[in-house]
Amino acid sequence: MKNTKIFILIVALLIVTCGILSIYSSTYQKEGELWRMIYRQQIIWVIFSLCAFFVASNLDYRRLWDWTYFLYGLSLFFLILVFVLGIVRLGAQRWIRIGWLNFQPSEFAKLVMVIFLAKYFSKKSTDDISLLSKKFGIFRGLVLPSIFVLIPMGLIVEQPDLGSGMLLLGIFIVMLYLTGVRIKYLIILLVVLLLPLPLWWHYLRDYQKERLLVFLNPNIDPLGAGYTIIQSKIAIGSSFIFGKGWLAGTQSQLHFLPESHTDFIFATFVEEWGLAGCVFLLSLYFLLIRKGFSIALRTNDQFGKLLACGISLMLLVQLFINIAMNLGLAPVVGVPLPLMSYGGSSLFITFIALGILVNIDRRRAVF
Amino acid sequence: MTRIKITIVAIIILFLFLFAAVFNITVIESRKYRLLSQKNCIRLLPQMGSRGKILDREGNILATSKLSYDFMVLPQSQSQLQKIFDEAGRVLSVNPKNLRDAYRKGFYASTVPVTIAKNVGPKRAIVLGELKQDYPGVIIQPNPVRDYPNGRTAAHALGYLNEIDRWRLTKLEDYGYKKRDIIGFGGIEEKYDYYLRQEEGGLSIEVDHVGRLVRVLGFKSPRNGKDIQLTLNLKIQKIVDDNLAGRKGCVIIMDPNSGEVLALASGPNFSPLDFSERNNAAINSYFNNRDSPMLNRAISGTYPPGSVFKPVVAAAALEDKKINLNTTFLCKGSTLVGRKQFNCWSVHNEQNLIEALQHSCNVFFYRTGLLIGPQSMHDYALKFGFSRPTGFELPYETSGYIPSPLLRRIHQFRKWYNGDTANLSIGQGDVLVTPLQIARMMAVFANNGYLVTPYIVKAIDGRDISVYQRRLMNIGVKKETLNAVKEGLKRVVSQTTGTGNVLSGLPVAVAGKTGTAQASGGNSHAWFAGYFPVKNPKYVVCVFIERGGPGYTSCVVARSIIEAMANQGLI
Repeated sequence: MKNTKIFILIVALLIVTCGILSIYSSTYQKEGELWRMIYRQQIIWVIFSLCAFFVASNLDYRRLWDWTYFLYGLSLFFLILVFVLGIVRLGAQRWIRIGWLNFQPSEFAKLVMVIFLAKYFSKKSTDDISLLSKKFGIFRGLVLPSIFVLIPMGLIVEQPDLGSGMLLLGIFIVMLYLTGVRIKYLIILLVVLLLPLPLWWHYLRDYQKERLLVFLNPNIDPLGAGYTIIQSKIAIGSSFIFGKGWLAGTQSQLHFLPESHTDFIFATFVEEWGLAGCVFLLSLYFLLIRKGFSIALRTNDQFGKLLACGISLMLLVQLFINIAMNLGLAPVVGVPLPLMSYGGSSLFITFIALGILVNIDRRRAVF
Repeated sequence: MTRIKITIVAIIILFLFLFAAVFNITVIESRKYRLLSQKNCIRLLPQMGSRGKILDREGNILATSKLSYDFMVLPQSQSQLQKIFDEAGRVLSVNPKNLRDAYRKGFYASTVPVTIAKNVGPKRAIVLGELKQDYPGVIIQPNPVRDYPNGRTAAHALGYLNEIDRWRLTKLEDYGYKKRDIIGFGGIEEKYDYYLRQEEGGLSIEVDHVGRLVRVLGFKSPRNGKDIQLTLNLKIQKIVDDNLAGRKGCVIIMDPNSGEVLALASGPNFSPLDFSERNNAAINSYFNNRDSPMLNRAISGTYPPGSVFKPVVAAAALEDKKINLNTTFLCKGSTLVGRKQFNCWSVHNEQNLIEALQHSCNVFFYRTGLLIGPQSMHDYALKFGFSRPTGFELPYETSGYIPSPLLRRIHQFRKWYNGDTANLSIGQGDVLVTPLQIARMMAVFANNGYLVTPYIVKAIDGRDISVYQRRLMNIGVKKETLNAVKEGLKRVVSQTTGTGNVLSGLPVAVAGKTGTAQASGGNSHAWFAGYFPVKNPKYVVCVFIERGGPGYTSCVVARSIIEAMANQGLI
């Protein structure tokens, strides 16, 4: 059990190190003290996050069961707060300021959503302690949880942060699958989501439409939205097997690649470390996610099981969308690469999630 | 639980997929990307469309775009740059160090050329262009620059262009505005920036190692902005600007029947060209000048109206039936309100309403004001459009203020005294108005009882938008009332004892009201507001000279404006 904790900690710290190296490399040449010191800020965040990790790993995760509704309400409160006093940055209102730090409530909402769904689907019947979710009809098994997911999702999409909203939806669908809800319901959900797809188009913001169109053909707007995709692909494509070496990447160093320390950090990393680095990084992520699922497999408590699955999924979906976006395989939406991208909220929440994971493994003997 | 296992298998497949995708572009397609990257060969060449023109009502150009040449350099090795700066410094006769600083400041991204010197002029542009032979990184970019062929004329109505500031950027980011965009500030340039604005286009090109074009990767054509036609008449505007001659104050000439503003000048003014040419010394002097030349006094300045407010009080009194045309008050040069003595500027003896307007007798209006009471005067002032923005299109219009006992209690926690009523009835005390509001009030008398909404934009992109302007609004004052006040306004000019008699003897009959508004500390403000010709008025004029002394000063300005208009056959 001690091993699990050390294992997760080491893997996570290795990824974080890769991240800091890339952040340093992509910003150390920029004009301005603030830019050059940005990696230090990330290190400070890592230290904070580690504290959170240890706290979370020592706190009985069963308490989350009791706090679920409170946390859910809190996340909604934060999301609404964003509209009231949010900071507009990069055209979107996603951050709120607490003291001296900017906090992105959608990150918090992701984790809370996972906790919420885990609780919802692990309630037991008071008569015979059998799982209620096995007997759920279409309303309790599909419609009700959908509503609970759609409220924060709608708020996030309105910010506008389409990426995080879709991410929430992705996590929801896969978790629904894992909870043992009938496949029939899942198919209904997918049909309901996919059929009005053309209608959704009208609700997208102009820049979102532009990005989707550019995703299909980056050359229609080589100066604007398509530019990032083209540059990111060049950065990754020019790296070859061993990359250009640390601090020697030309794409990110010469600032060809925008957002090279946040959403496009994967491209920065691969450019300098090559295919080999990429394989190393992907293996680390794989080990982490795999560990999450094996914890889920060997936990007897349904709540813990679902929570572990959900946390691993949260990592997986973000990772997948982000890397696909870097490779030009998904439209550019603002989804960070967990543990690597510059940004305190994401790092902090991810470490708390990992802490919960460790704690689930520690308590499984109780049941 | 098998579903977890199925998920794990799916995850393994996902990771393999990601690996395959990375493998694909790093190894299989690597040659293509490697070439693109090694040569750093994508360059973005922005191309600007030209900003929309601003025209007067007859199609004369008030603001347009002309070509200027910017000297730009592509980011490249330091030693190469130093050579370019040395050469260019000789041509431009500046220290190469300055160019170097400009480069460091302007550097944005490796793909984007850096502007080193703006506005280099066609001759130097050609000489610099020859540097291209030796240094392929040099670019001479023709750029449309805003030009105002009439110099300072109508500067405040037009506004000026400048680099977007932080506050506007956060506000406008969602509308496609970017850092370093040039946008309009003040006047039409700001208000209709969205229409005037051009759309930036450009080329993304591939170049080889010496910077020669290999092929065009993508192109987005620039788009020109839309032209805006104003209701201003350039000839009248010029007359007005010449007569104001940089004095502190403003002049408005408006069509009382529609609300079209034909001329709007505010002084001291500024030259919008200084902003497009980045004449920093001049720009600083504008902002540091204590007379605030950047302030559009016609709509953003609020001043006590003094006697030009009297027609409103007269109309209120007649409408409330507190006095009639035969009511007289005795002016002994002053009157007592409570225990305080309120003065008139002269001794007028017995005065009825029309005579009181003609002589601008304060005592008459003190007594009238006390009869009708402050609330009624306040209400009528609001009917005449005071205390709220007129709905004029130019930005930063202020609303002014008309006091009343209730507002006084709400805002200042103070009581209202009869002395305040007396002050209100001659447009002093807390009363604040904008010159445009005064012009609009005069228009009510000129057009027999309709409140107009002043406007200045006639057409956008050739489409007449005056039909979308707000309709005239009947303020519901009886015809007899208006006629009585108009008779007074006419006599102000036509009678030898009238305060505005200096305006008589012109080719056209003028009616109006003068005003000498006391302001704390210093000279009083000089007002003249009126309309002409008296029968079927075509123009409302409002002349305001800040700290100009007695109303006579403004009358003289108004006279020379009307004289010049008559001479040029504009009436």
